[in-house]
Amino acid sequence: MERVKQYFLQFRRSPAFTGFVLFVIAIILNVIIQGPSSFFNPKSINTLFMSNTPFILIAMAQSLLLISGTLDISIGIQLALVNVIVIMIPQELGVPVYVGWIFGIMAAVTVSILCGVGSSIMRLPSMLVGYAMIFIIRGVNILIMNVPQGSVPKVLYKAYDSLIGGLIPVSLLVIIGVFLLCVIIMRTRFGKHIYAVGGHPRNAFAAGINPVSVQMKAFILKGFIVGVAGICLTLMTASGNPLQGEDYGLRSLSACILGGLGFGGWGSVSSGIFGAGFFVIIQNTVYYFFTLLYKLIPGFTVTSYWQNMVSDVILLLGLLMTIVTAKAQRETLKKGLIKQFKRGEKYGNK
Amino acid sequence: MFELQGINKHFDAVVALENASLTITPGKITALLGSNGSGKSTMVKVLAGLVKPDSGEILFDGQPVHINAGIDSRKLGIGTAFQDLSLVPTMTIMDNMVLGVEPVTKLGLVDRKKALNEVSDLLDRFHIRCNPFDFVQTLAPSTQSMLEIAKAVLMKPRLLLLDEVTASLHSEEIDTLFHILKQLKAEGVAMVYVTHRMQEIFEICDDVNIMRSGKTVIGAPVGELTLDDIVFHMTGQRPDTENKEHETEVSHIENQELVLDVEHISIVPKVKDISFKAYKGEIVGIGGLEGQGQPEFIRALIGDLKFECDSITYLGKKIHFNSPADAVKSGIGFISGERNKEAMFPERTISENIFAGDAAKGKLFSYLFSKQVRKFAQGAVDKYDIKIGQLKNPASSLSGGNQQKLVVARWISMNPSLLLLDDPTKGVDIHSRRDIHNILHKCAEEGMTIIISASDTEELLDISDRIYVFYEGMVSAELSGKNKNAERIVAAMVGMTSQSLLEKEVE
Repeated sequence: MERVKQYFLQFRRSPAFTGFVLFVIAIILNVIIQGPSSFFNPKSINTLFMSNTPFILIAMAQSLLLISGTLDISIGIQLALVNVIVIMIPQELGVPVYVGWIFGIMAAVTVSILCGVGSSIMRLPSMLVGYAMIFIIRGVNILIMNVPQGSVPKVLYKAYDSLIGGLIPVSLLVIIGVFLLCVIIMRTRFGKHIYAVGGHPRNAFAAGINPVSVQMKAFILKGFIVGVAGICLTLMTASGNPLQGEDYGLRSLSACILGGLGFGGWGSVSSGIFGAGFFVIIQNTVYYFFTLLYKLIPGFTVTSYWQNMVSDVILLLGLLMTIVTAKAQRETLKKGLIKQFKRGEKYGNK
Repeated sequence: MFELQGINKHFDAVVALENASLTITPGKITALLGSNGSGKSTMVKVLAGLVKPDSGEILFDGQPVHINAGIDSRKLGIGTAFQDLSLVPTMTIMDNMVLGVEPVTKLGLVDRKKALNEVSDLLDRFHIRCNPFDFVQTLAPSTQSMLEIAKAVLMKPRLLLLDEVTASLHSEEIDTLFHILKQLKAEGVAMVYVTHRMQEIFEICDDVNIMRSGKTVIGAPVGELTLDDIVFHMTGQRPDTENKEHETEVSHIENQELVLDVEHISIVPKVKDISFKAYKGEIVGIGGLEGQGQPEFIRALIGDLKFECDSITYLGKKIHFNSPADAVKSGIGFISGERNKEAMFPERTISENIFAGDAAKGKLFSYLFSKQVRKFAQGAVDKYDIKIGQLKNPASSLSGGNQQKLVVARWISMNPSLLLLDDPTKGVDIHSRRDIHNILHKCAEEGMTIIISASDTEELLDISDRIYVFYEGMVSAELSGKNKNAERIVAAMVGMTSQSLLEKEVE
């Protein structure tokens, strides 16, 4: 019991708690608006997981990078790279689909290493490296596949879309698998070094850690997760599209921030999951909210842009929430406001 | 056990170490002493693997070794407690303590149970009453310092480097620390102890190694040296025994108008209790080792830091400034040694940089004619002999010395009645330094009051009429007239107040 309490207290103080609170609020809202019977239907849960697994996975990958003190916004278009490779290699070379999968993961790892070379070894601003990589990868994608095309064997995408025992979505298992992998890695020495490098690179160096090598390894791990996410994306869409998923890059970043991440060396992979979950659930909720409005108010019609706007405003409120819940940021905000409005009393002699 | 021979290190043009040497024996504590910039911290960093020497040899048990990174140093069994800490603030105490030496289970995971046991024992030994799961950034500075030492001890080092670790510790923590250091000494651990607190040297150190401007001056057992010898080796001058007249002479300045009168100012955490006076047309120097509260004191005066104070009287009026802008409005100027951070706009042109101060005085929306700005800037450039290419070049194109002259020119052309300078000649070549001194002297003659903090003792003696020496956030000496000499400043820098020095001389 004491141990459970200890763990809870630790969780309560961790940044992931912010994301957790947001996530729970979002789910409660969703259940109320959609209705419990409709929400807890295994089929609709399956659809929710299936269509959002790639996003949740790359949010985890991004959170790994954020913890180690760097980031990659080209992560979204990397999904499309994996997608086109996974489709084109079996189609053009006639090899089994699984070989395509291996090549897809290898491609993701390779571009991740390139990003790592730019931002960790050459020490360029990681935002710029990611931005440049978006254009490079997009070009490569179009070279490999000039128009959306291709298909996936029916057995595979049916399997991805199925429920095990009629209850647990296969895609959920993928998420759990990757999450466990991350949790285990975070408990190894390498995991601790990720935190140290993200928290204070110079001091990590003084403790005998090589910050560059740690960040490079984080990039490779991220590449592997992106590869898995790309395969999920392919199974979900059952075709190839060289230009999809580009906005996932910035979306995964905001998901991590919603989950409570932001400074290096702080937080955990679950921040990414909760943030992405909040993102997904809010969009879902707003969709049902509008269908509810259509039913309740006869003759009420608006374009779907309104839905996007409402969900974006809620996401913005979520970001504000992270400021209020994270203690360090709350203190900064408070101090800033005090300094603005009544600094005279706080400074100098009374 | 360890021997460093002929170590040289240059940072650009600055010589940090020149043919420095150090011998370390197991079971002994070697004190490493020296005033500012003497290279003692660089020496520690060489051993810790943070600084790579340009040349020289490091011998370990008679074998030459290379220390290129922190990991090499650790492999040799060197544990380091840094002055500016090497803890990762976003991690827990436990994770920090075992960072880099984590115990691992068979499965390759970090063995949390074992780590927790080790860390709990360690915390008990150091009398640190904290939960090992607390985050380091939430702890008090003194606890963090203790943890820094504990971390170095945890790896069971053969050589322990302690770089001014006692600076932020409380007295009972120091007692605990010394107890542990004595235990380690008995176990045969070698230690290098960098400090500026003389009484600590006589309390726990066995050998003394004194450095002056990057060179090792002397290495000897502590018993063979007296306090006077140590001060002599640090400054290179014998205390002038002729100069015994006490501060009897009333300087002419006393009759002058009092410009600034600060009573009992304290700034958490660096400055404890300082009273300070400055008269019209006087150059007041602030001396002291690094980190004794000089920059904080100056920044508090211009309203950049929070402080508590009985009263500050400026030109006969009680004041307190809420922001530097208020201070500037009342005619106070501030020149910082951190040019790039606090004074310059490196990307903007030279003329804009010079005009910046004057522009701040004008109306917010009044139109600035570029000709007017240029004329103003050209005047300043000619007057203060700043070497520039063209006025429209960016300020970052200038050399360090000329950049600083530019900043000085900007402030002086605003004609402040009180000018504060915080180590203005940091990284400035000797020629520009002299120019700046001349400018300051001229301004003082014209009636400007100048308060200057400088880390260089020679410079301080050269420029100031009166010197306050700061030690541990308090004034350890106020020197003027004949009392103003290098020995007294250095003695005061290491905490021997002028009173205790006088008593010694009487004996």
